[in-house]
Amino acid sequence: MTGRVYPPVEFRIEASHVEAFARALGADPAGGVPPTYAAVYALGTTARQLFEDSEAAVDFARLLHREQEFEWERQPEMGEMVIAQGQVTSDVERRGVRFITFESNVSAGGVPVCRSRAVFVIGGAQ
Amino acid sequence: MRELVVEFTKEQIAAYAQASGDSNPIHLDDEFARSVGLPGVIAHGMLQMGLLARVAGEPGRLRRLSCRFAGIVRPGDTVTFRGDEHDQTVQLTAVNQDGQPVVSRAIAELNSADDRAR
Repeated sequence: MTGRVYPPVEFRIEASHVEAFARALGADPAGGVPPTYAAVYALGTTARQLFEDSEAAVDFARLLHREQEFEWERQPEMGEMVIAQGQVTSDVERRGVRFITFESNVSAGGVPVCRSRAVFVIGGAQ
Repeated sequence: MRELVVEFTKEQIAAYAQASGDSNPIHLDDEFARSVGLPGVIAHGMLQMGLLARVAGEPGRLRRLSCRFAGIVRPGDTVTFRGDEHDQTVQLTAVNQDGQPVVSRAIAELNSADDRAR
């Protein structure tokens, strides 16, 4: 699957959803967008496409999140519409364990906002 | 040095699953988690990272955040998250009640306070 690029996904930063996310982290819901809300607008939006891709055949139930990196140009604002696009930058199997590196780029109005790099391990827990 | 001590609960993990949209059953269903070789439900890596971000610094200054999820976190575990800032770089740690690190290579880079004002 290395090199596979998924179609861009639009996502609106909704205040009520952001506040619920902040509360789940024990953070102040009035404190703005928590940085790791990128797990939703950068990673969640795009990784879903990978997990639902029958050709990629990702065994979601045996998937563990091994590494994560986010890089922000700025934090998104409430009400803002962002566009996220994901791609598989590496997909290798070693001793029966599959390692997928998945990168997502988020922009607003054509200007970069955030970059996400996730490493997923599938079949490593057994 | 900033520090946050969190005792993880099934309720918090379920709340994070709902709020983040990551409802993989390994976070919600003990029986299922055991069926795939885990000791029971585990916390989301992204929940741990969200707590790391809280000790990394002011949200508006965060430029980069990365970590490796090195150990599992289960309900009942107490994890101490620490951030130690030097020259806009924050070394982050998360250690459970047994002294075991649950993340490794955890680091944040911050914008200077001047950049934030732009």
